[in-house]
Amino acid sequence: MEKYKFIDDLTSDVMFEAYGKNLKELFKNSALALFSLICEINNVGEEKTIDIEVSGDSLEELMVNWLQELIALVDTEEMFFSRFEIIEINENNLKAKAYGEPISPEKAGVVVKGVTYYKLKLEKIKDNYKATISLDI
Amino acid sequence: MKEKIQKINDYEWLLPKNAREGMKVDAKIIANRAILDAIEDSAVQQLTNVACLPGIVEPVIGLPDMHFGYGLPMGAVSAFDSEKGIISAGLCGFDINCGINSIRTNLTVEEVNEKLKELIPALFNAIPCGVGSKGKLRLNYNELDNVMTHGVNWAVENGYGTKEDIKNTEENGCMPGADPSKVSDLAKKRGLPQLGTLGAGNHFLEIQKVSDIFDKEYAKKLGIVNKDQVMIMLHCGSRGFGHQIATDYLKIQERAVKKYNIWLPDRQLACAPVNSEEGQDYYSAMKCAVNYSFTNRLVMTQWIRETFEKVFKKSWEDMDMQTVYAICHNVVKLDKIKGREYYVHRKGATRAFPDLPVIVAGTMGTASYICKGTELALEKTFGSSCHGSGRAMSRHAALRKFRGEKVNEELKQKGIIGKAGNWKSFAEEAPGCYKDVEQVVDSVHNAGISLKVVRMKPLGVLKG
Repeated sequence: MEKYKFIDDLTSDVMFEAYGKNLKELFKNSALALFSLICEINNVGEEKTIDIEVSGDSLEELMVNWLQELIALVDTEEMFFSRFEIIEINENNLKAKAYGEPISPEKAGVVVKGVTYYKLKLEKIKDNYKATISLDI
Repeated sequence: MKEKIQKINDYEWLLPKNAREGMKVDAKIIANRAILDAIEDSAVQQLTNVACLPGIVEPVIGLPDMHFGYGLPMGAVSAFDSEKGIISAGLCGFDINCGINSIRTNLTVEEVNEKLKELIPALFNAIPCGVGSKGKLRLNYNELDNVMTHGVNWAVENGYGTKEDIKNTEENGCMPGADPSKVSDLAKKRGLPQLGTLGAGNHFLEIQKVSDIFDKEYAKKLGIVNKDQVMIMLHCGSRGFGHQIATDYLKIQERAVKKYNIWLPDRQLACAPVNSEEGQDYYSAMKCAVNYSFTNRLVMTQWIRETFEKVFKKSWEDMDMQTVYAICHNVVKLDKIKGREYYVHRKGATRAFPDLPVIVAGTMGTASYICKGTELALEKTFGSSCHGSGRAMSRHAALRKFRGEKVNEELKQKGIIGKAGNWKSFAEEAPGCYKDVEQVVDSVHNAGISLKVVRMKPLGVLKG
């Protein structure tokens, strides 16, 4: 199953769809899509682990807060991430681990400024989940 | 929506408030015919959304660089009544005080071309570029508080720049009323290591030469006297610090929208009444990001000067490397215009007050301009003008169409030396992704909202 796909929609920004068989996979794949922009995700190792806890008023809010948290960690921890493990998730809370290594110019991608609400959507199609997310670059 | 646009004259177009339900005021677009025809209908629709907001003052302005954004177009100006209006984190966007510094030199093209192959890598080493580079400064929380409240005065006190730089910066590089207590710990944590960093995306450092002088007298006042004089342009913003403040207040104001029962045509236009806590807290926090960003650009300006000193073996003062002007183009300001105060939201728009410089950035391969603001801008656009050439192609489409190394090769054939942290950014920012800056500047010039002073062409460009 495809993990994520970029969609041509916004003029100056970036939109992607992420997929998952369950919420854990959906949130993991959304984070992978985000970091495929921020760094060369396939070349980033797993030297360090960060524990993350995020909450939100709804599942959509939880997704936005999860991705925002990861964007902030790039600045505060100066790290690129390549693997994500969602430990626990429900509609309002998420516990996860992010694995990565210190930032470096050689493996850098773009700066993501924020997660926008443009066409933001989390949906269940038959037995699968799909998230549509737009980022300000 | 575009079919409802009416012609005022060759450079001004009206979208009357009866174009759709809910519009409280008209919208107006400044553009020549070619530019107007190319503007997306969805971007025009976004202007009408802004025209629905409480306390909006006529008209909502679309500038010729406008293109579809999130919530509202980039290249838009909206002014709100200072009592009955709103202040909006959404209308300002993520990159608070994204802006441009223009720095002059007395060096000639010949002098710089000789050293360009040495200069560009030296600048690349001196200025942390892109998401992978660590900042060279590590502020503590006290210093960061000082940057927030004192802006470029902090920089000058710490050896970055001079009093001349302060004088030539919008707001003198420090908006009064910035309140660090309104900024989250997370924003501060992100701000500590990033002062003096360029970022990525459309941010750049460019070495340019003057190609045309249209207004000799005004150019002379800016210290620009010769064709082929070398100039420097620095474009960046408030980095993760400003992004986090925007993110935090978008959430706070989204709750305020419900609390104050404000109807929004698009949730991304999150806002709060001007005199509410959520409105004023955002304004005080936003000012912290504005001041951080002015400081960020001045710190880098000083590093650019030091790099020139090493390469050209002269002092920066001897090379006359003075700030021509430093402006912001993503900001909310309480401006007094023709005797009335408004909260003017400029998103991808530059202040264009009479006789003050307006800086318009082109692309890596095309010209940039310095213009001057006018009385007409006060009458027509709340003292505002365009900020750049404006994107015409998405990043996604750009990556399909262009390859970064090839774009760099094409620039080289034009005599422009490029260096990027990531070549992908050269594809995403290829000149072909943007509107024609000549048409954009032609539009603002002929509409009379800012007049051409100097045109600059790129010699070398650094990107994140």
